[in-house]
Amino acid sequence: MIICPNCQHKEISGALFCSNCGAQLIEGESTSTQNIERGPTGQLEEEHLAAINIPIPDTLPESRVSLYILESGQIIPLVGREEYTLGRSAQGQPILPDIDLTPFKAYENGVSRLHASIKVGKQIFATDLGSVNGTLLNGKRIPPHQIQTLNHGDVITLGKLKIQVLIRQ
Amino acid sequence: MPNIPNYYARLGLPLDATPEEIRRAYRLAARRLHPDTREAGETKLFLDVQEAYETLSDPHKRMVYDDQLPPEYTTPPAVTITTLFSRASLPRVSEPQLIYALLELSAQPSQEESTTTPVNLALVLDCSTSMQGAAMDTVKATAIELVRQLRPNDLFSLIAFSDRAQVLVPAGSQQDHAKIETAIRMIQPSGATEIFRGLEAGFSEVRRYRSSKYTNHIILITDGRTYGDEAQCMQLAEDAVLHNIGISALGIGGQWNDVFLDDLTKHTGGSSMYVAKPRDIRRFLIEKFSGLGQSYAERVIYDCESGAGVQLRYAFRLQPETSPLEINPPLQMGNIPRDISLSVLMEFLVESVPPDAASISLCEGRLTLNIPSRAEPTYTVRLNLSRPTTNEADNEPPPAAIVQAMSRLTLYRMQERARQHVAEGNVREATRRLQNIATHLLSQGNYELAKTILSEADNLQHTHAFSEEGEKRIKYGTRGLLLPASVEEKPQ
Repeated sequence: MIICPNCQHKEISGALFCSNCGAQLIEGESTSTQNIERGPTGQLEEEHLAAINIPIPDTLPESRVSLYILESGQIIPLVGREEYTLGRSAQGQPILPDIDLTPFKAYENGVSRLHASIKVGKQIFATDLGSVNGTLLNGKRIPPHQIQTLNHGDVITLGKLKIQVLIRQ
Repeated sequence: MPNIPNYYARLGLPLDATPEEIRRAYRLAARRLHPDTREAGETKLFLDVQEAYETLSDPHKRMVYDDQLPPEYTTPPAVTITTLFSRASLPRVSEPQLIYALLELSAQPSQEESTTTPVNLALVLDCSTSMQGAAMDTVKATAIELVRQLRPNDLFSLIAFSDRAQVLVPAGSQQDHAKIETAIRMIQPSGATEIFRGLEAGFSEVRRYRSSKYTNHIILITDGRTYGDEAQCMQLAEDAVLHNIGISALGIGGQWNDVFLDDLTKHTGGSSMYVAKPRDIRRFLIEKFSGLGQSYAERVIYDCESGAGVQLRYAFRLQPETSPLEINPPLQMGNIPRDISLSVLMEFLVESVPPDAASISLCEGRLTLNIPSRAEPTYTVRLNLSRPTTNEADNEPPPAAIVQAMSRLTLYRMQERARQHVAEGNVREATRRLQNIATHLLSQGNYELAKTILSEADNLQHTHAFSEEGEKRIKYGTRGLLLPASVEEKPQ
């Protein structure tokens, strides 16, 4: 018996993929997302959760919505589309995410190749795309595939990578 | 052509068949062909089998017969069979295990066999009222195009059906093209869809000239559901198998019954295809037609039996024409094209491996090939799949070809499960599975199909049912993922 690391579904040994969520169950692919060490409770360490109460920068960039990578201090403006996928590039991956977080140590931070998406409309929404290490919104885990409203100053955490959402009103 | 009948071919047996194998093959064939259970006209097949058995079951008669066998019967065809397994060995444990086998059959035709095989084709067109408009126009235009591509020795027939069938062009070769084209142009859609009417007429046209020297095939084109005659259609598919006739189906739009047409066609080793828009009809038909003409071995059949405590759980043809296969033996695998291999992926469930077993037989049986370009078309080889056992599970990664195929097949099977969940009323589970498929597609960059699936998941939550169109898009879309990248359908 094998337990799927992604969804805990039970599979008969010898299965190559999880019949429930489609995750690969066998070794061999180096591009799979790194599993972040978790604390004894199975939750991510406290320090990764303390993403709330981060001050909002005084000067906002020109674009209506921007992503502020807290660790590096860089700001990525979201311009020209209605929906952006966030993730990291990997060898052999046919299409890159719209926002490639590789330069921000995405792999080390446990960001999936396609981790989350941000929809820019009247309101701004974030969706976790079933990532391996999950997505936090202001320190709280959000369920995969469900849209969440984002407000100015919210911090989303992909794996361990913290990003603040800046919205011009 | 030698005058000695090929008794081995009649029973689908290899030349070194054991007396036990001969007995079993005869019993099976007799049961299938007995005049009491068949309609009139099939008696000849039964008598042929009986004649073969009378000689082969008698050791002395068989020896005399074997001595006269001409070389055409005894030379194996130029087909290479390779098998890959997901695991090199099976650990001796009592818990159930899965193992995958990838069977690849490829042809190396000799000089004499290099000429392509003529086709004996019936085109069966649904001309019910619903076809009116772009669908009918495109089908007509494509039919005319196909007629122009016919080679001198191809046989062609054309049937238009609604709630009755009309043979517009009776089977024949080198027909008057202008006359056929006029007949096609004159088709006026009217009436309801009764698929059996059309199939029956197409079957009798193909059967008239049916021979092992042709690729015998019926292509059914429909956009609607047939009512009440499904069982008759399945019976006809059964007859088609006996006569070496394959059936393929092309469904247009959302209204037709894909589950039924899948069952019908895969019973004969054919497949069902789906087009959303009339403008795609042409490409599919032309591809199908040229595929038939390029076939080297027709109707490859694996008559196999799973080993003790082993169950064949799933079989899927990766190419040509990706399609799930019927897993009840004999397995109708389809055809081997001249340029690419026939690849079939099989999933076996091994209940338990006893501590004293040195190897586990997954399945044993005979593979029968029908090669129209050979002097003697039918040839049967033995094919057994087994794996050695070990104390410890080996940690070798499975062959890349199997992993790759399974990564895509998994999505297709998740789709199958989602449909099953809906049928059982479990909308939540179905929705979750669809979302999981979409996630994988997004990570592979297939936004088009992912979007279709997510909107269908949305729809599912509201209406608690699939939309007919969406259901097919998802099924054939995920099936299309298994095609080699070069021929993958471009998003529109």
